[in-house]
Amino acid sequence: MDEIYLILATLVFLGGFVLAVVALRTGKHQTGRLNVWLAVLGLIFQCLFLKERGDLHMRCPITNGAEVLVFISWSIVILYLALGRAFRLSLLGVFSMPLVFLFQSVAIVSLMSNDPGARPPDSLDPWLEMHAAMSLLAYGAFGLAGIAGIMDLVLDRQLKSHAPGRLFYSLPPMKYLYDAMLRLMLIGTGLLTIGVISAFFMATSPTALHLTVLGAVWLVYAGILFVNVARGLRPKSLSKLSIAAFNFALIALLVI
Amino acid sequence: MSIFCLGVNHKTAPVEIRERLAFAESAIPHHLKEIRSLEVVEEAVVLSTCNRVEIYGAANHLEKALDQLVEYLIKHFEVGDDDVEFYRHEAEAAAHHLFEVASGLDSMVLGETEIFGQIKKAYLTAQSTGATSRRMNKLFQQSFSVGKQVRSSTRIQQGSTSVGSAAVDLAEKIFGQLDGCRVMIIGAGEMSRTTAQSLKSRGSKSIIVSNRSFDKAEDLADELGGKAIRFDEWANYLDQVDIVISSTGSPHAVVKKSDVAMVLKRRRGHSLFLIDIAVPRDVESSVNDLDNVYLYNIDQLQRIADAGVAQRHQQIETCRGVIRDFLNEKGIDALASEPSEYPERGSFNHS
Repeated sequence: MDEIYLILATLVFLGGFVLAVVALRTGKHQTGRLNVWLAVLGLIFQCLFLKERGDLHMRCPITNGAEVLVFISWSIVILYLALGRAFRLSLLGVFSMPLVFLFQSVAIVSLMSNDPGARPPDSLDPWLEMHAAMSLLAYGAFGLAGIAGIMDLVLDRQLKSHAPGRLFYSLPPMKYLYDAMLRLMLIGTGLLTIGVISAFFMATSPTALHLTVLGAVWLVYAGILFVNVARGLRPKSLSKLSIAAFNFALIALLVI
Repeated sequence: MSIFCLGVNHKTAPVEIRERLAFAESAIPHHLKEIRSLEVVEEAVVLSTCNRVEIYGAANHLEKALDQLVEYLIKHFEVGDDDVEFYRHEAEAAAHHLFEVASGLDSMVLGETEIFGQIKKAYLTAQSTGATSRRMNKLFQQSFSVGKQVRSSTRIQQGSTSVGSAAVDLAEKIFGQLDGCRVMIIGAGEMSRTTAQSLKSRGSKSIIVSNRSFDKAEDLADELGGKAIRFDEWANYLDQVDIVISSTGSPHAVVKKSDVAMVLKRRRGHSLFLIDIAVPRDVESSVNDLDNVYLYNIDQLQRIADAGVAQRHQQIETCRGVIRDFLNEKGIDALASEPSEYPERGSFNHS
């Protein structure tokens, strides 16, 4: 049943993306609200999938690569729904959906080809749960910051070309994207800090490689934020850095 | 009993006629009472804007009501019979016309939004004067629904329609709200003034004016509530502003790439938007190659405005389709018959 929920969630996000692209091409902006509802529906299916997997493992369902990808997708969607409107970035959802679709598609293929099955813990370690959950929520924030970075680069390109296309009028202003990137990176770094600190209290100490990689991701984001405070990064530089940093964070996750 | 619309607009009458027929806002309640006291007019709403003077109403004998209204207008505003030709729409055509007006399809600037508020105001004035009843209430309520639906489901409002609005729209795309934006004008010409006023109307503050003739700079700075500086000082302020409007009569480039590149570090990542409306151009085109700096010249702004106008024109049929669909689905409420719907004429609200 869990795989059915995941497939349904993935299809909903694909549908939302297709609908948004059609809306942008035809200028029918009233689909924006429908898109939010689709994101909510997708989130519900994600939650059902994670609950099923949680019941299976009897702990936070982050026991294999597929579940990690779904958890990051869940973080991206929930952060978009929680912050998208506050940051005046309703279009962020449209740009997030292809990434969520990609992550979940990989997860579906992975689970269907080789589902490792139940992995209940010997004993439940709340610090381990906290470490994993906070770190992956941070990934959600970093993912959204990267997506805001892509939107900013698209807008920059359109402004520089002197020939704004249809997408131009639907994109949020650069200032909002810049602010959103900074806030999302700040939120992500805060969550990751909690994740890193939790790692030191875990019953079984994490490996040195695990801590090094996690520390490197933390340093990258903290470094970007520090440079921005110290010198003031240009929006284009911040966009490129947020995309590069998220790619680095994903590669780091693969290493772990 | 049916509905009608009688009027002139920017397509049918020159400004000389429209200004003579324009109703003073404060006098509209009085006019509504006079119109309502005409023998056959049961309800009335007066819509008087820069681009149109229209009377919407309901009457039992449309032909007679329209003739009486024309006579009233000609007499009251002292226009000659031959000077003006009013258009007349009856029943469905009148409703269609109002729906198109509310959608901005009949406006001088296609798709503009101001007309929607003007119709609301006209209706509320008529309603508070007691000049509306069931038909006008339903007609105008439907026009608001149609207007909103057309604007939300089409691109009729999208894109800029003039050089000034293109500049403002671009500025908003870069900076979001223009509340805190600082503007510098280099060259106190008419185009600079107009563009700066557009930016100011959207919230831009702190306007600095630099001109070869300092007196002219002071005059424009006074008018815009800004500060005048000497012409040789503008480069010193480049790191303190977000938008630069340049329109000097200089035969050579005034703002060079090296000038802008030099201040970029001091700007700490803040974007710079340069609007070059001078011919010959004031700003070296290579300035646009700098990161985080956006340069638009008069032709580029004009192209955006032309594209915006063309796009809006392409939307007309789509908008009409939305109106048609709305009417096919819901019909025109104001034309639905209902027995004994009107109060006695004596019940007119004189407050």
